[in-house]
Amino acid sequence: MTEAFVYLDYAASTPVDPRVRDRMREAGEMTCANPSSTHAAGRLTHGIIATAAAQLAGLLNAGPRTLVWTSGATESDNLAIAGGARYRNHRGRHIVTMKTEHKAVTDVFEQLAKEGFDVSWVEPDGNGILDPAAFEAVLREDTQLASIMLVNNETGVIQDIEALGGICRERGILFHVDAAQAAGKVHVDLSTLPVDLMSVTAHKFYGPQGIGALYIADRPGCHVDPILFGGGQQRRIRPGTLPMELIAGFGMAAEIAAHRIDDDLEHLRALREALWGGIRDLGGIRRNGDPDGFPGILNVSAAGVEGESLLLALEPLQVATGSACNSKSREPSSVLRALGLSDTDAQSAIRFSLGRPTTAGEARFAADRYRQAVLKLRGLAPGAGV
Amino acid sequence: MSTDDPYGPRVRRLFAAPVHAGRLEDGESVDVDEQDVRLRLSAAAAAGRIEAMRFEARGCPHVIAAAEAACARLEGGPVSGLLEFSGRDLMENLPVPVEKTGRILALEDAVRSLGQRLRDGTES
Repeated sequence: MTEAFVYLDYAASTPVDPRVRDRMREAGEMTCANPSSTHAAGRLTHGIIATAAAQLAGLLNAGPRTLVWTSGATESDNLAIAGGARYRNHRGRHIVTMKTEHKAVTDVFEQLAKEGFDVSWVEPDGNGILDPAAFEAVLREDTQLASIMLVNNETGVIQDIEALGGICRERGILFHVDAAQAAGKVHVDLSTLPVDLMSVTAHKFYGPQGIGALYIADRPGCHVDPILFGGGQQRRIRPGTLPMELIAGFGMAAEIAAHRIDDDLEHLRALREALWGGIRDLGGIRRNGDPDGFPGILNVSAAGVEGESLLLALEPLQVATGSACNSKSREPSSVLRALGLSDTDAQSAIRFSLGRPTTAGEARFAADRYRQAVLKLRGLAPGAGV
Repeated sequence: MSTDDPYGPRVRRLFAAPVHAGRLEDGESVDVDEQDVRLRLSAAAAAGRIEAMRFEARGCPHVIAAAEAACARLEGGPVSGLLEFSGRDLMENLPVPVEKTGRILALEDAVRSLGQRLRDGTES
């Protein structure tokens, strides 16, 4: 990372842990073989992947054979939702998700709607939390799949997956959870959570970009149709030669995270409160989302300032105005609008996302910089009204 | 390494230090609220020349930089300069991306409207 930056965009991507990088290099030096090859070199690659699967399964408390490697959370979400809905197509065509999901989920639902599926979009409360009763109210006899994210990528709001999944389990509905922002950051125990499908990705918790996984529970009726075709790999669910070095790194990142989650959470909590404490008295500041959400994310709006100018005035802070995947769009965040924010407030929102390497000094610097930037822009504006 | 910076160095410089930011209480002023831009231009003129020109803006960096550049260019010049002001030069020189053309046209409208007010004030 360039030292000229103060990087506070860990929800978008994280730096690769040096131990992960070492593991990837080591694996690459051991073998270059295709894991599907039956010769010794191929079996070595297969073993490296099996080790990584065990490491990731350990993080999630799942069986290693429940994991399907993908290119990342976007592909995992596509495979889970499109593959799950199509697998159950003959039983019914009603599917459910939230308005505050990531585009990797909402766009798949939009696509399925074009294919004739009937989509219900449930809304959260003003803090971004989905009431299980509101969720249950939209379910029907023909509901086949629901997808709800664990940790929201823009606000850090944590949904009650246990309650929501329990409702789905009682009704035989396939329940998918986008855990891209949760895996490796908060405790996830798939041995107890009523979850059928879960998307995870390495680069959100100090692993490499370009590798993810989909958890598919090992129980009857829990299956997805493939969305890619071209080989019999991974039980014909996801074809393609596996990227062994990326998977080795993913596994190592998972093993490290499994031992660090509590320490990381404590670290992030202290940083977030320091950051929020440094800006909360500015006036006209709104904290978006549930304050008890994931501590690595702080989303705030400032009355009287324009988001793009705020982002530039905040430099050298590297922060986001919405999800990074969507940050080139000038449209106000649909997630924040679903929380009841006006277009103007949503457009001024900044997402600070903190990470393992973030220091207390960086949090203080960010708070000072934010104050300066907001005051400067309010000073430029005609009647900021604050 | 290409950083694909959406702001040129001139936009960054003008945005960072807009010396014409502010309001002239004794001059004429015009308000614009459209195209995601809230803008107030004010100017004081004497003997057909712009003695001072200021802006207040809530908008993107390109709008703030363009307003600053317009004030710097027009201040000290004839009032007729406001009436003939075109945002096209700013679009090219700052530069401003084409998708923000509407915002620069809002600035252009504000500058010309301010010129009309100053001219009308002088004539009445």
